[in-house]
Amino acid sequence: MYSETSSVKPLFYIILLNLVGAVLISIQYGGANLEAVVLTGAICLVSIVSYTVVSAAELGDAYLFLIISVLGSVGGIMQMRIKPEYGVRQLKWFLVGTACYFGAMLLYRLMNRWLHRLVPLYFILSVALYVATRLFGKTSHGSKNWIIIGGLSIQPSELIRIFFVLSLAAIFTGAIPAKYREKFGIRPKYLRLLAATFITLVNVGFLLLQREWGISLLFFATYFFFIYVYGASRLYLLLNAIGAAAVGVMGVTYVSHIKVRIDTWLHPFADASGKGYQITQSLFAIGEGGMAGRGIGAGSVYFIPEVHSDFIFSAICEEMGVVGGLAILMLYFVLVYRGFKIALSCTNAYNKAVAFGISFILGLQTFIIIGGVTKMIPLTGITLPFVSYGGSSMLTTFAACGILQAISGKKEEITDEIQ
Amino acid sequence: MGDIFSRILTYIFVIIIYLFIYAIIRMIFLDIRAMNRKKSGGLAEAYLKLINLRRDLDFVMDESYELDEDEVIGRGNKCTIRLPDRYLSVKHCRIYKSDGSYYIEDLGSTNGTFLNGDELTDEAVELMDGDKISIGRLNFIFVMPKSEG
Repeated sequence: MYSETSSVKPLFYIILLNLVGAVLISIQYGGANLEAVVLTGAICLVSIVSYTVVSAAELGDAYLFLIISVLGSVGGIMQMRIKPEYGVRQLKWFLVGTACYFGAMLLYRLMNRWLHRLVPLYFILSVALYVATRLFGKTSHGSKNWIIIGGLSIQPSELIRIFFVLSLAAIFTGAIPAKYREKFGIRPKYLRLLAATFITLVNVGFLLLQREWGISLLFFATYFFFIYVYGASRLYLLLNAIGAAAVGVMGVTYVSHIKVRIDTWLHPFADASGKGYQITQSLFAIGEGGMAGRGIGAGSVYFIPEVHSDFIFSAICEEMGVVGGLAILMLYFVLVYRGFKIALSCTNAYNKAVAFGISFILGLQTFIIIGGVTKMIPLTGITLPFVSYGGSSMLTTFAACGILQAISGKKEEITDEIQ
Repeated sequence: MGDIFSRILTYIFVIIIYLFIYAIIRMIFLDIRAMNRKKSGGLAEAYLKLINLRRDLDFVMDESYELDEDEVIGRGNKCTIRLPDRYLSVKHCRIYKSDGSYYIEDLGSTNGTFLNGDELTDEAVELMDGDKISIGRLNFIFVMPKSEG
């Protein structure tokens, strides 16, 4: 269906983009840079191979991976520009991420008949991961959210996002086993809402314990929009909004960590060298870039703290200007659009809900971090999908998009079994 | 010198991203137009109506397929009407319009094209309203409402 209007033009642009990127990195480091050539060459190769595989084997949407490739190229080139070491590691994550993408796609296709029945398993796995993080976690930037397995640091909340979407989709579209219906004796509609609320509260509770404000917001907003779309109860939506507002006000008043964030958001220049340092440096960088940017390699991005992960967008704005920043935003727009289109054209209710959840999370995550570094909303640490440095974020976002790919190619109907 | 050079290259870099976005948005536009064409219905002079029960098939099909001037039907990427039936050839058959009538022709398919139960030979055959076309596991009725008037 999708390749009715297929064309290799986007692929050609990816190759051109990486070529220019390699030249830019070489100029910056004075002379041909082997690492840059390997990085850009590998990304081109991966894009060509995956585009060919997806269109030849008719695996669905052929453009999803290409959009991800462009974001990955920009991310890889920026990482390489900040520090060659980061660039090389980012390339590794990109390659492993591609494997995750196709792995998740195959797994999702194979498991499609069972996935909606595994909600208890997702729940147990999520809780186990949270508990493991509590017990063996490493603290970084005020959040205890990392576990280290064999030298690899993993952020479990990234993986739990996928479980969360799979669970919510199953709760709102799946059949409710008779034993639960008898046990609680309430209408299925309310049973669904209560189950969703329970799972969300457990997740958000653990995340707040880890001081992951950004990701708890992401989880709650996903849940909120799921009830908006599937819940069919305005009153419940309102109750949730009031509850969230109450928790938010309490957080601002009593939790010093959150209070500081709000203060630096409202008055970043009050303490520009202390608490407001991150956001002011980010704003300076964006301002310094102006409309057209200072050129990749010409900016002074090292002044921005955490420039390779959370603040990568500020560096992009400094070196490529507002025009370049808008280009990145539009790439995310197109990516999320593809996701929603997959959700709309999907005929299976469960898969539709999963595609909706994944696209929503992708879009919201982008909004939270870009809004944060541009001082539109309070800043909270979360990665920019596919561009920020970071293994677990890369891999799970790749896996999530692999699920989208699987849904876009899945045409068999199994709705009668689910409804 | 190096600075100006890298600045110009950065502009090119950003322009390429925009060209990429343009190419993708163009695809999206064509996709939506194709979707609208499918939905609009009734505008086409003739269409193929599927008579298999759709739930008996292990793949998804539309209820009907509109026919333009020239359509190639098959399993392959280059067909104008792509049908995922395994029993179809990559390019199975062709339906085209000439002097106000529609003709069907087999494109050397492995399992053949059947018109009202008879296998087509090398020659193109004119289609009449209500003809039954069978390809692979699929059966269609050729509908051309105007021809009756």
